[in-house]
Amino acid sequence: MSSDAVKKRKPKVIRNEAGTPETKRGRAEGEQDVLVYNEEVELEGRDPQQDYMLYKDTCAALAKLMAEIQELKSGGAKVGSVEMEERRRQCSVHFITLKKLNRLAHMRLKKGRDQTHEAKQRVDVLHLQLQNLLYEVMHLQKEISKCLEFKSQHEEIELVSEEEFFQEAPAEISRPHVTRDDHHQLTLARLDWELEQRKRLAEQYKMSLARKEKIHKAIEQKREYLSSLQPGLQNIMQASLPVQECLSMPFEQMQKQAEVARHLPPPLYVLLVQAAAYGQACGKTHIFTLNKTLSASISGDVDEAKALSRPPEDSQDDESDSDAEEEQQNTKRRRASVGVQLDDKRKEMLRRHPLSLCVDLKCKDGSVLHLFFYYLMNLNILTVKTKVSTTTDLSGAVSAGELLNSESLLNCLYASDHGQETPNPTNRYQFDKVGITTFADYVSDLGHPYVWVQKLGGLQFSSDGAQVALSASHMERTMKLLQGRLQARLALHKQFSSLEHSIIPISGECQHLFPAKVVSGLTRWTMMSYQEFTELGFVQHVLKAGLLRETDLFFMAVVERGTARLLAAVVVNPRYPEVMPLFSLSLHWKGERSGRTEDNLRAMESEVNMFRAELQGPRPGLQLLTNQIQRLCVCLDVYLETESQVCDGSEGPKEFPREKMCLRTARGPSRLKPFKYNHPQGFFSHR
Amino acid sequence: MFISLQLLHMSVFSQSFSPCGRFLAAGNNYGEIAVFSLSAALSPDASQASQKPILNFTAHDGPVFSLLSTDTHLLSAGNGEISAWSWAELIKKVRVSCSVNDNSLIVGGGDNNIHIMDMETGIFKSVLKGHTDYIHCLCFKEREEEILSGGEDGAVRIWDSRTNRPVHCIEVFKYEECARPQFGKWISCLATDSDWMLCGGGPSLSLWHLRSMSPTSVFPLPGCQREAVFYQDLIMSVGEGPHVSHCLHGGTVKAQIPCTPSSLNTLALNLKNTEHRVMTVGGSSHQIDVFTNFSYRAFSLSF
Repeated sequence: MSSDAVKKRKPKVIRNEAGTPETKRGRAEGEQDVLVYNEEVELEGRDPQQDYMLYKDTCAALAKLMAEIQELKSGGAKVGSVEMEERRRQCSVHFITLKKLNRLAHMRLKKGRDQTHEAKQRVDVLHLQLQNLLYEVMHLQKEISKCLEFKSQHEEIELVSEEEFFQEAPAEISRPHVTRDDHHQLTLARLDWELEQRKRLAEQYKMSLARKEKIHKAIEQKREYLSSLQPGLQNIMQASLPVQECLSMPFEQMQKQAEVARHLPPPLYVLLVQAAAYGQACGKTHIFTLNKTLSASISGDVDEAKALSRPPEDSQDDESDSDAEEEQQNTKRRRASVGVQLDDKRKEMLRRHPLSLCVDLKCKDGSVLHLFFYYLMNLNILTVKTKVSTTTDLSGAVSAGELLNSESLLNCLYASDHGQETPNPTNRYQFDKVGITTFADYVSDLGHPYVWVQKLGGLQFSSDGAQVALSASHMERTMKLLQGRLQARLALHKQFSSLEHSIIPISGECQHLFPAKVVSGLTRWTMMSYQEFTELGFVQHVLKAGLLRETDLFFMAVVERGTARLLAAVVVNPRYPEVMPLFSLSLHWKGERSGRTEDNLRAMESEVNMFRAELQGPRPGLQLLTNQIQRLCVCLDVYLETESQVCDGSEGPKEFPREKMCLRTARGPSRLKPFKYNHPQGFFSHR
Repeated sequence: MFISLQLLHMSVFSQSFSPCGRFLAAGNNYGEIAVFSLSAALSPDASQASQKPILNFTAHDGPVFSLLSTDTHLLSAGNGEISAWSWAELIKKVRVSCSVNDNSLIVGGGDNNIHIMDMETGIFKSVLKGHTDYIHCLCFKEREEEILSGGEDGAVRIWDSRTNRPVHCIEVFKYEECARPQFGKWISCLATDSDWMLCGGGPSLSLWHLRSMSPTSVFPLPGCQREAVFYQDLIMSVGEGPHVSHCLHGGTVKAQIPCTPSSLNTLALNLKNTEHRVMTVGGSSHQIDVFTNFSYRAFSLSF
């Protein structure tokens, strides 16, 4: 740099900075000089510290001089005096020194800067090189790692293990001598072996496929052949129907029935099976006819039943679609009122299964009891409805209206089984949800849920599930009870029509219970309602003893002889004749007396009410009621005739002359009359 | 249900207290005798169960019309035989029939006669004949050793027990004050208290003075009385009608206490035991009313 400065003069001149006019002048003088003034070289020789000290001194001198000038000026010296000029010259010199120092400082600065710049440049270049190298290193590292990670496809192939390979592969492929040492070769060999195996197996597969096709074709042929047989068989079946009927072996019918029976709900199925079994076992009235004592058949809509039992998977897709549809619809439609919704829920809860069972029970006299069994699905109970068809026309007994009423015909078949409430305890909770208070409201529509019906269907509500054993054990008993009930009701029906005509029908076998001549006669036989009955004064003791229920049948019988009139209020339990009818008496003769006020009437009551063994007559005891009424008449006779024994104050003939033979007319502290009739001697005695 | 039917038609005909006074035996028309424990029924923590019999057995075929307690035995009479039961065994709820000892038993029967039986040997000692119809009631006058008997024929006969001969015969229905022809003439209750005698039945209940053999007061009770007793200065009687009548010697009816049975056959007073001093009545019902205070019914025992 310095050599360059030496060569060029002009840059030195240009470096001249703005200064005082005096310095410019000095400069112009120096230009003409050929001597090179190299300040830079001078710069290197000078010590910056010294320059700094010089600067400080110069400043101090300047300050001093300025102060002197000031003094002079304030002392009143003239401008342009010698001392002032002297001082002024010295100031100028100092100024020049300062300028030089300034220049030197600038030059030093520049030099420093240049040096720094150079160094920086060098550093930058190196840095750049470093970066390049680093980048390259990284790149190489990446490449290496990529190479290391490379998985060849061959590793995905599952090869047999090495031991197996060496065992199985033939020598030319395995080449153990080579492959045992070299892993690469081993892998190659294994791959070879794999390839060969696969080729072989593919061959085999193709062959098996071809074979399968052939067999398939053969099966198809045989199937076609079989299906061609089907219409032929149908024809044969059709043709055989008349033959079946002739031989009374209704296979076809039974098959059809069995087919439909598959769709029955379990309790109805159990009931059907048991009823059919029972019917077959003990029912046939005549070998050559189809008339069985008990026959069962299924009625109802089979398709609906099939729809019910369809598995839910099929309808799941439909459901999701229909849900979406419904949502749309709901926003458009007005929502049904709460009442209607509740009604719908109730209807849903009380829904019956579409199939129902019809069981016909024949009795010996030809009348038939039809029982229709229904299954309520959501409540899991069975209900029954009844119908009676008789061979003879049942006419005219007004009081017998209730006897064969289908609502109450099967009441209390077993004690206290009224069939008004559902026997399934879980139904209580279900009813609460939809607001049904009692099941009794729906009974007339849906049928009676008697406990014996549940048992016949194998439903027992202390444990779960339909049990066949339960049904079987109850079947016989229940069927017998049903038959007995029907017969009893029919017998009563006939008897009532007689009673209404004031005739007490006494069968031949029971004649011995009564004397030949009975004067008192039945004049009226009517039916009463529960309300009317409980209002009677003389039956309160029966009410209090809890011996009557709303489900019982109530009647009023009037027996008369002369001026005496005996009213008898009769309570007949639905389970007649298992339970004796109960008589309560009230006598209107010379005043009114009842069993409560008079001991003899009470004795008459017990004579009529208590002696079942005597009064029921031949089995099955259907004569019970009529015998009781007849006995009542006999007792009234005895009562009236022996009453007249009293020495009446009033004179005159006795109204009821004594005709009955009695050993003695009074006995015991209460002086009871002899009501017991002894056969064949024909006299009356005390019990 | 048959049980309630039976209960509905049951009548209690006789009662007797045990010698210790803690038990009551009652006989009904089915021939059953039931023994009730009074101490259990009267105790403060008595329950429904303590009003049931502790023992109930069938003693006879026919109704048990009469029960009588001696010091050790309960005698029951039915339709033909007399049985004796040991109280000690009955209390232990065992029934054993056995013979008795001491004294003689006077039995009035349906054969119109009175039999006297020696209880030690069981042999009938003598027969008193005189009635023309069956005998309803008997009682014994201790002081004079006389037997009084009343029967269906309407006569009250007085017999001397030592000589077994009839002493008097009173035909009550012939006396106009007492007679009630609309009912009849039979005498169904007799009671005596030294000089006084009560009798009633068809005729009204009347109090007789035995020395003079005449009725001193007649009680205006409707219905026929079946049993009457003297108690302190009162006369208590039961019969037709659902009440116990308390009467005074003067002839007035002091009170009529209502009871459950519609008519009553028997009345018994437990005087042997001061703790259990009760009156019990039974009749045309399966329930026996117990009176602790004789003015009202306390509770009922039930068969």
